[in-house]
Amino acid sequence: MRWQEPARGSTDIPTETQAETGPVTTTADDHGHILVVDDDPQIRLLVARFLQRHGYQVTGAPDGRAMLEALAHSAIDLIVLDLMLPGRSGVELCRDVRATSQVPIVMLTARTEESDRITGLEGGADDYVTKPFSPRELLARIRAVLRRARAGQGAAIAQASAIVTFDGWRMDLRRRELQSPSGTLIDLSTGEFDLLVAFVEHANRVLSREALMQFAKTRTSDDPFDRTIDVQISRLRRKLEADSRGGQLIKTVRGAGYLFASQVDHQQGQPA
Amino acid sequence: MTNLAKRLWPDTVASRAILILVAALLAFHLLGYWAYRVGVENLATAGQDRGLAERIVSIKRAIASLPQAPERDRVAHDLSSASLEVHWSKVSLVLGTAPMTERTRAMEARLKELAPELAAESFRVGFADDGALGAGEANAYKHMMLVSVQLEDGSWVNFSSSALGASQHLDWGLTAIMLCFAVAIVVVALLLLRWATRPLRDLALAAERFSLDQVPQPLPETGPVEVRRAARAFNTMRERIRSLVTERMQAMAAVSHDLRTPITRLRLRSEFLEDDATRSLIDADLGEMEAMIDSTLDYLRGGTSSEPLRPVDLASVIETIVDEHVDQGQRVSLIGLNSAPVQGRVLSLKRAASNIIGNAVKYGQTATVSVTDAGDSYAVLVEDDGPGIGEADRERVFHPFVRLEESRGRQTGGSGLGLTIALAIARSHDGSITLENRTEGGLRVTLLLPKLDRTAQHVADMRG
Repeated sequence: MRWQEPARGSTDIPTETQAETGPVTTTADDHGHILVVDDDPQIRLLVARFLQRHGYQVTGAPDGRAMLEALAHSAIDLIVLDLMLPGRSGVELCRDVRATSQVPIVMLTARTEESDRITGLEGGADDYVTKPFSPRELLARIRAVLRRARAGQGAAIAQASAIVTFDGWRMDLRRRELQSPSGTLIDLSTGEFDLLVAFVEHANRVLSREALMQFAKTRTSDDPFDRTIDVQISRLRRKLEADSRGGQLIKTVRGAGYLFASQVDHQQGQPA
Repeated sequence: MTNLAKRLWPDTVASRAILILVAALLAFHLLGYWAYRVGVENLATAGQDRGLAERIVSIKRAIASLPQAPERDRVAHDLSSASLEVHWSKVSLVLGTAPMTERTRAMEARLKELAPELAAESFRVGFADDGALGAGEANAYKHMMLVSVQLEDGSWVNFSSSALGASQHLDWGLTAIMLCFAVAIVVVALLLLRWATRPLRDLALAAERFSLDQVPQPLPETGPVEVRRAARAFNTMRERIRSLVTERMQAMAAVSHDLRTPITRLRLRSEFLEDDATRSLIDADLGEMEAMIDSTLDYLRGGTSSEPLRPVDLASVIETIVDEHVDQGQRVSLIGLNSAPVQGRVLSLKRAASNIIGNAVKYGQTATVSVTDAGDSYAVLVEDDGPGIGEADRERVFHPFVRLEESRGRQTGGSGLGLTIALAIARSHDGSITLENRTEGGLRVTLLLPKLDRTAQHVADMRG
């Protein structure tokens, strides 16, 4: 719950910002211990303060060495890792961590570099936030990833079943892509994709609106414009209808909710 | 007439060289031909003149040896030939009063020189054309040279010849050969010069095709030395322009990139503000800055991206964008096809379509988006009810940093890169974007993208 900076990293924090950190008023540390790895000292500091305010204990690290040091000395629940780091890049660090640990990782990537996003996720990151990120979006992702990890659906599971197939459709959970049976990429919004993930993870089971709402909102919980689940589902259906075989996958169960009617197979994703 | 002259005027290096070559060769040939003709003629004339002089002397002698007048006349007839006619008469054919012209004197001197016997005789030389005859006979001896030699008894032997002084006829055979020569020279020269100037044409083509977007293909430095130098200069210049533009673009990209860190900091700092209203305003400003940076970086990329081309359902991309606008409370509707597979890059296509739809929403109250089948392509039509764009500006709006604020409202903001980026992306997908004003008012933007071809679809099927 205290702002902890490993000895090596603390020297590069300007005194002016150090003064800002002075009174840390967070009280609850049961939310978890987060390691923030970013070479910009002020961003490290501000993210730390922001997360502390929301009940997390935060440790900062300016580079890979400090990160590994912190991992060795404290019990870290989640790493926020910048992709652009001096020395070893975020992707390499991500692989290093994955070699020994399943600690969840949220990657910070540049918005317009599509390849960064892909390599980040394939390096073993659980999720990503594009820079310049909105702090609340980062918070939402951290919460979702921690929740998944605590439910035992962390990186290990996500990695084991990166590709999901149903009725000829192919879903790449890591790249967040959906391919129709004819091999055409179908573009889904974040909400639609999360909804579909919820469906394939609970195939052939009736899901209530409330349950679906929970799943679909894991990524953008603060979005004030989130439409009702019914609108999301009708949009998802319309997109699945692009292939004639996809229209009837999501069935309405009167008075109970929705049911995803298909055999779902999980398979290991091909190494990229 | 001037047009024809302009068209015939040799404008290329090759045609000018041919012209020079032909002119020089023609001059050379004409001179040679003339010299040859003069030489041959002199030789022939000399032989002819000698023969003539000798014949005149011997005929005169033969006639003089005959005593009787009728005998003389008959023998004169018998000794006549095609080139020399001989008559005997009491009077001289050449009048004693005949004018002494230049050629008469020259001929007289020449006959005396060739046949020294003649010098002792009394003879007259004249040309019918010069008035050597009486008016009555002049017509019968047109163009002829006349020689009259007096015998001892005072009678005359009159010679008339057309072999000398006759007009020269043209040698058509030789002329034809020379013409063939000239044609052959032109043909050979044309082929050779086309070959010789080919590097020049390549250079011009390369300069025309010069583009910074494409992978540079240095001009081959071959051909004659001038062309090699020009090609080298061109390659150097292109490299210089390239590095200059690349440097500028890199600087612009670096600045845009670096701005992200302070923006991230500002976003984080604003989170600590107590005043919610101020915070949301700051967030909105930061959002705008981010959008500008993104579009600048997109523009600098010029429609290309590291994303691979894959079969993409264009309809689903458009649906996602329209849904986003609807979720933000904007009046955007979508009609048309539910499936439109194209070969594309999802993020790029998303960017292009959202720039176009974003514009429609920004400048009009409502936007109608439709995905339709347009033969070989799929068409995305985006129609708004805004003020439209004047004919004159329709080309201009695709240029970077051009905003038509004066006609399209002031408060709209934006970087002026939206359509530039959209067009670059459409082109990188072999597509196009066209603008037109609707008759019912407002603008219609048409994004055309080629359909996923059958083979690509087949490959995708195999993989899927």
